[in-house]
Amino acid sequence: MKHLMRTFALPTLLLAAAPAMAHNPMCECEELASGQVKCTGGFSDGSGAPGVTLDVIGYDEQVLVGGKLGEDSTLTFKRPDGEFYVLFDAGPGHVVEVDYADIPQP
Amino acid sequence: MAKTPKKSKSRLWFLVHSWLALPIWFFVLIVCFTGMLAVVSQEIVWLADPAVRANKPDGDAQRMTFQQVLDALHEAKPDMIVGGLSQPDGSHFAVKANVTLPDGTSPTLYVNPYTGAIQGKTPDFNFEAFTRALHGWWLVPFTNGYSWGWYLVSILGLPMLASLVTGLVVYKKFWKGFFKPVRTGHGSRIFWGDLHRLAGVWSIWFIAVISITGTWFLIQAILFDNHITLSSEKVVPVIAREQVPQTQDGSPAPRIDLDEAVRLAGLAIPGLEVSFVSLPSTAYSHINLSGPGWYPLMHQSAAVNPYTRTIDSQFLISDRSALEFVTESMRPLHTGDFGGLPIKLVWFFFGLVLTLMVFSGLLIWTKRTAQATAAALKRGERAPRNLPRETTVEVHS
Amino acid sequence: MSRAQTLTASPLKQAWLKWRFHLNILLILIPLGFMPKYFADAKLFRGEAGLGANIVRDIQVGPYSLDLAEMRDQEPQADGPAGFFKVFNAALCKACIQDVKATYLRIGKPRSLRAAGTIFFGAPYNMSTSLPIPPRTSPDAQIWITVEGWDGSMHQASVPLAQASPATVAWLKKQGGKK
Repeated sequence: MKHLMRTFALPTLLLAAAPAMAHNPMCECEELASGQVKCTGGFSDGSGAPGVTLDVIGYDEQVLVGGKLGEDSTLTFKRPDGEFYVLFDAGPGHVVEVDYADIPQP
Repeated sequence: MAKTPKKSKSRLWFLVHSWLALPIWFFVLIVCFTGMLAVVSQEIVWLADPAVRANKPDGDAQRMTFQQVLDALHEAKPDMIVGGLSQPDGSHFAVKANVTLPDGTSPTLYVNPYTGAIQGKTPDFNFEAFTRALHGWWLVPFTNGYSWGWYLVSILGLPMLASLVTGLVVYKKFWKGFFKPVRTGHGSRIFWGDLHRLAGVWSIWFIAVISITGTWFLIQAILFDNHITLSSEKVVPVIAREQVPQTQDGSPAPRIDLDEAVRLAGLAIPGLEVSFVSLPSTAYSHINLSGPGWYPLMHQSAAVNPYTRTIDSQFLISDRSALEFVTESMRPLHTGDFGGLPIKLVWFFFGLVLTLMVFSGLLIWTKRTAQATAAALKRGERAPRNLPRETTVEVHS
Repeated sequence: MSRAQTLTASPLKQAWLKWRFHLNILLILIPLGFMPKYFADAKLFRGEAGLGANIVRDIQVGPYSLDLAEMRDQEPQADGPAGFFKVFNAALCKACIQDVKATYLRIGKPRSLRAAGTIFFGAPYNMSTSLPIPPRTSPDAQIWITVEGWDGSMHQASVPLAQASPATVAWLKKQGGKK
């Protein structure tokens, strides 16, 4: 039954005969030496997230960079000036935010 | 550490074989026994509880579609929310409905597939779930990742595989043993020994299947707990906000019904058989359909968008990688749940044989090795301290 | 065929021979010990033990109201690289079930509906969600509930994390500055 639970399964599914566990969305960003930021999206079971939307949004809610993760589940963009956050958006209620302050500079 | 008068590898193998299960024999015995029960637990519940049966009211009654069952449930209990419907493998089983009642409780109901009548619900003591939990993870709760009970049980696959290999090595010309009669009247040691060997040769294939698939469960847990997946199945994104209509009057946007979803999926995926329907769990969720395909060890699934009527994702047998054919076959091979009752009965029978093997192995061991060891220990206590103490262990092969 | 096999018995070996059967007893005690927990959990998952722990009742979110509870009174659980999570349950008021399209949960006030947090799934009588808890969260943080109506409206309310999950706050304080 595992395949049924791959769509954002959550812990109540432990009820099932063979326990299937949650896999939560995740997103990690790091700044490369060249002033570029590389974000990697995925799910905690190890699955990638190719094609999932990843937007870079200013604190004023202006979308600075709008993109989709590539086949390797990453997206690289130039670090915007000012305050911003990265939104990994796999649909309503399945988002991960990464604040600019949490993106370590080399 | 073994000083043998005549060096012989098979004697060493024999020792390894005899020691494999011993310190934990009772644990192994119960795991085998509960595994045997778990294979047919669904059938046991069917025998015990009439509510689980799909009784036909008369000769030409038709089975209801999933939407008809859903309608019947809504009519019987308008406040109830249905999360999913499933038809267990076998037409003699009632449809199972996972529902939530207004008081927040979530029972599983048994619904007659011909009349739609609610026949009963899963009892508080769920025999199926309990035997599987006892067999599968020794009741140790899953708090964070796989429970350590799961590791404890699944690691038994390794000594089990080792006992099969060593057993075959020490049993000279085992292929001649398939029709050797069990000798009675020569004492219980001979009797249990003969029985152990006879049962052993007949269950070579079964022990291999159970131990290899059991070891897979160990690997599966290790992979999961280290956040590694071998699956090629993409995580299905939920439905985008733009695709879910807003309504002027604030009532829920209309969705297609279950039968329409099954029909659409059937058009897109010829041969898709649906035995499990899960209703959208949020406003942005799909109707998920799944069921068996041409390859009996794997299921196929499709996610139908209830607003746009599109099949947003599917995972068919042809989508599997070669590796997945192996890994996904492991669970049904372990549980015997892939060919209806006949296969289950075969698995049950060999489960019983395996339980007897552990039991007879233990009897042989206590009658032989343990007595010899106990005797040696007594001698050891009497022996002067500065002399090396020796234990004599009789070896029969 | 019968042969004799000799083994030297060190004191260690003697102890092992003597005690190995007790290993059996220990192994059997495990499921016996966990049995009450197993049945309590089964009851919890069936929703028969109530909504959860530390229930906050009748939280008014715009025109709607709901009850919120943590699934278990315990600290957040790690999910590897994805961070720490707490499962929360909620029950919508019976009268608002038809109107509410989705309910979200987030630590801190959401910046937008798009970033409203994690969505509750399951029947509105007893829905669940897995809330990420960033380890740097301030112990006096608020949990924000966002309700989205089918008519496109959005309503918000908040409850103190300390009220909804004291164990999480204790964990955050202990964690203090570690990350």
